[in-house]
Amino acid sequence: MILKLLAVAGAALLLAGPAAAACTHPRTSLFYLEGQVMCPTCHTTLDQSDAPAAQRIKAYIQTQIDKCATNQQIEASLVANFGVGILAAPSHKGFDLLAWWLPIAGVVLGGLLLAFGVWRWSRNRDHEAPLGGPHSLNGTSPAALDPETERRLDELLAGLD
Amino acid sequence: MTRSLKLVGQGAALAVVAALLALLVWDVTHQHHAPKVGAAAPGFSLRRLDGDGTLALASLRGKPVVLNFWASWCVPCKSESKVLEADYRHYGAKGVVFLGIDFHDVTSDARTFVAAHGLSFPMVEDGSGSVTQNRYGISQVPETYIVGRTGTILAHIRGPINGSSFSAAFTRGLAEALRS
Repeated sequence: MILKLLAVAGAALLLAGPAAAACTHPRTSLFYLEGQVMCPTCHTTLDQSDAPAAQRIKAYIQTQIDKCATNQQIEASLVANFGVGILAAPSHKGFDLLAWWLPIAGVVLGGLLLAFGVWRWSRNRDHEAPLGGPHSLNGTSPAALDPETERRLDELLAGLD
Repeated sequence: MTRSLKLVGQGAALAVVAALLALLVWDVTHQHHAPKVGAAAPGFSLRRLDGDGTLALASLRGKPVVLNFWASWCVPCKSESKVLEADYRHYGAKGVVFLGIDFHDVTSDARTFVAAHGLSFPMVEDGSGSVTQNRYGISQVPETYIVGRTGTILAHIRGPINGSSFSAAFTRGLAEALRS
């Protein structure tokens, strides 16, 4: 029994050794590529699909990995076979760049608009209460007192001295 | 200044809403539908699976054509292929052209399938689905169209032609195609 196990292990090593040694770069993984490649029939990434087409593409990717193909090579061969729609993410060149930059531009623009709105709101509030003091009970600021009331207030305050 | 800024902001917001609405309308009106029987078969030019170069549907004008959409990962396509090959041998001798369109498939898998099932009629591949999905509105295979000599669709079979309910429709369509 032990001899059989040793023989199997030896054969596996003999077969796996040259294949592993043939790779001059770190092997990519099916796990990684499953998240980068779409299932063409179900429109989800491969890792979320068990559709027959997805299973076949997974098998194809695995054979390419076994042949030491890089991520770029595998993705290029899939694009040649299925078109650019097979990739989950758009490429980083040409018109596809818009897909990457537009969301960032949207967030920046939204932030700027929000900052502008906050600035306007705080400026209006300062304008309403230029002395920074408390508002009167009827909602008018001290600056809004009519001259007569102001004169009476000054008299009252003078009486307190 | 403030008022004009407000107007510009409102205008921009309205433009964005209008653009999104237009996109929605465009998407709804551009849904892919299967061409109806009696309509012209949508044209295409696809890469050959069984050789170099491409094959265009237009080049088959004047002959009755059976367009069979299939894939190597499609289970019913396996049982259908035997009947299809037999029909090709029978009707091909009478001038009917059979054309297999391999859909969303790995090329090497498709070639293995063709060899394993002994399919001898011409094959093209549509890996991206640009013809199968976008022009023929097909999302599941197998499906078969029978196109007359003038390029008009005579029959559309949704499912394997060896199925009990579909084989009669296929035979009727072929007979009509030979008369056309």
